[in-house]
Amino acid sequence: MNMVSPSLLVSGLRKQFARPAVDGLDLNVARGELYALLGPNGAGKTTTLRMVAGLLAPDAGRIEVNGVDLARDPAGAKRSMAYLPDDPLLYGKLKPTEYLEFVAGLWGVDAATAEPRARQLLDWLDLSKHAHELTEGFSRGMKQKLALAGALIHEPQLLILDEPLTGLDAGASRQVKDLLLSHVAKGGTVILTTHILEVAERLAQRIGIIQHGRLIAEGTLDQLRHQTDAETLEDMFLQLTSQA
Amino acid sequence: MSARPGSALWLLRHEVRMFWYTTLSSKSSKAPRGMHWKLLALWLVLWSLLHAGAWFVVGKVSGGPGEMPQQLVLAATVLLVATFLFMLSSALKSSVEVLFDRGDMDLLLSSPLPSRSIFSVRLASVVLGVASIYLLFLAPLAHAGLLQGHPRWLALYPVLLGMAAIASSAAMLLTLALVRWLGARRTRVVAQVLGALAGALLFILSQLPNLAMQSGERGEGLLMRLFKSGAGIDAASPLWLPGRALLGDPLAAAIIGVLALLAFGLTVTLTHRSFARGLQMAAGSTGSAKRPAGALRFRFGAGVATTLIRKEWRLILRDPHLISQVLLQLLYLIPLLLVVFKKDGSQPLVVGAGLTLLCGSLSSSLAWIVLMAEEAPDLLHSSPADIRTIRRAKLTAAIGPVLALVCLPVLWLTWRAPLSGLLAAFTICGISFGSALIVMWTGKPGERSALARRAQGNGAKTLFEISHLLGWGGLAFLLPYAANGAQASIGVVAGIGAAGAVAFGVPFLAWVFRHRSH
Repeated sequence: MNMVSPSLLVSGLRKQFARPAVDGLDLNVARGELYALLGPNGAGKTTTLRMVAGLLAPDAGRIEVNGVDLARDPAGAKRSMAYLPDDPLLYGKLKPTEYLEFVAGLWGVDAATAEPRARQLLDWLDLSKHAHELTEGFSRGMKQKLALAGALIHEPQLLILDEPLTGLDAGASRQVKDLLLSHVAKGGTVILTTHILEVAERLAQRIGIIQHGRLIAEGTLDQLRHQTDAETLEDMFLQLTSQA
Repeated sequence: MSARPGSALWLLRHEVRMFWYTTLSSKSSKAPRGMHWKLLALWLVLWSLLHAGAWFVVGKVSGGPGEMPQQLVLAATVLLVATFLFMLSSALKSSVEVLFDRGDMDLLLSSPLPSRSIFSVRLASVVLGVASIYLLFLAPLAHAGLLQGHPRWLALYPVLLGMAAIASSAAMLLTLALVRWLGARRTRVVAQVLGALAGALLFILSQLPNLAMQSGERGEGLLMRLFKSGAGIDAASPLWLPGRALLGDPLAAAIIGVLALLAFGLTVTLTHRSFARGLQMAAGSTGSAKRPAGALRFRFGAGVATTLIRKEWRLILRDPHLISQVLLQLLYLIPLLLVVFKKDGSQPLVVGAGLTLLCGSLSSSLAWIVLMAEEAPDLLHSSPADIRTIRRAKLTAAIGPVLALVCLPVLWLTWRAPLSGLLAAFTICGISFGSALIVMWTGKPGERSALARRAQGNGAKTLFEISHLLGWGGLAFLLPYAANGAQASIGVVAGIGAAGAVAFGVPFLAWVFRHRSH
């Protein structure tokens, strides 16, 4: 059952604060897919991701992660995913090695699996030479890369990223993009939000556009192009969000 | 009168305005910036009451015109020395804030304003900030003195401002010297710790009568004898200069004023360049010291609880400012230690109760740090780790060090008086666990740096904590009292019952109100 289920299945998701933040959202993201969720500020992207990550209880709707119902078995659903918000979840007074030990401990990864994985991730992300420094002195890019290493240490199937490339320089941005593509190539799933439309255009296999908490368009770049008379994703995005 | 834009006076006006906004204007981010009228009215009522008190005090202590009783000079000097220590403490904290925390220094230093003007205005703002609270509480004495025909009491204004200027200059010089010797990052911690210690020094000094009591003399008697004899120091001694200045001796007040101006002027002249350098160092000091990269060593494979406890202890041990704030509570052990070396029957009672109260206070602080000041709560909640395991591990991380710390004193107590020791162990465990639970159920999340301000805006938690401390403190005193002595009476039994009800009832109430408090 789990082998054929989508990586993420969201149906009828609703959340209301002062006004509806997410209003009957449906999403279906297949395994091995890189899905970009786009939308203007306040469209409900972050609220959606926080509900999927189990950080916010929905008012209505259902979330399944790799076939596991998040409401019924939160620990089981969380075991196969990782969430990375735009502000990296780090501890300033921990060193990168200690941070990875901590995250691996939370996900219950055994030493034999975690150690080579940690070495590999620190090497890939150019963090090995900073492994003995406290993260409070890291640049924004280094922090983001370390948080990504933490998200990948337990080899999650589903990776949920909120604005992962904001504030990164060209080099760090390339490293993160390569890592995401490598994760997808190995069968993993990535769902990300971004305001950098070029990133979505180049990386994502499918794009969803959300406004006022509702999905107003979804598909591959070509499918979106057919829905509008625009050529670039930027024009499509502006056209779709101005119509809604 | 409007100051020329860009002048030092103009900048000072900006500083005063900022001080006004941060102290008396509305602090709510949603409310429009403006006067916090309720707060102002409260302060005015308080100030009026202080004037009434000051009227009574001045009438009692003030001699005839031109008269200056030696005992009054001694009291004024002691008051001013104590005030100076507190001023030094505040000034050190303000200097660190000016140098490291204010977000507008880059803007000011990139403007065409001379760094000398910027530094002198910043130092003046530290002086005003430091003096303001003492002026608020002590100025009523000057006003009452004036109204009762003693205008010399008005000297309080220039003398307090002068003392604030000397304290602020010393604090700024010390902070800049520390930046030079230790670097910006360590200076921040050291200055904050020194600031806290300067304030705490007063507490230690206040315990000197207890030391005197060890020699068999009543502490109060010794103090009074010293007081009446002017501590054996000649009345004309310059040591009494601050007191005489405060009481309106023109020469003494003038000397304080000149010293203050000299301290301020010299500090500005000598250090305005190092001030700018200190700021540059602060800007580049976010990185931790690099160590040569050795082989990567990991300690994977621990369970969730062990991983969490290890993380919490690492974070606390690597934050010297946090440690200093928590360990300052150990200062209260000093009078307790004095009791330990005293040889009478009350010793086990006082030590047991003191240790119990200390553990309650320490547990509460540590529990707030590990439970409420979690830096990455989303990481914990997005993990599959069971929330109950996380809470249990965090409670262990908070209570463990406290119990380890008092282990030896409790063993010593048990060796001296076995029953008292066992009862102390019971009350210590009870108060430590209860305090941590109260924090878990009613605490408000905040940043670690807000440890000292954690009670603000959380009256319910403060009430629960204080009554919980009193309940267990009462039990810690009364249980061994009843168990050891033949004087157990109905009153003692009723006291134990009441204290027990509070000790166990308050955590239950905190649990009942947990949702409302969060």
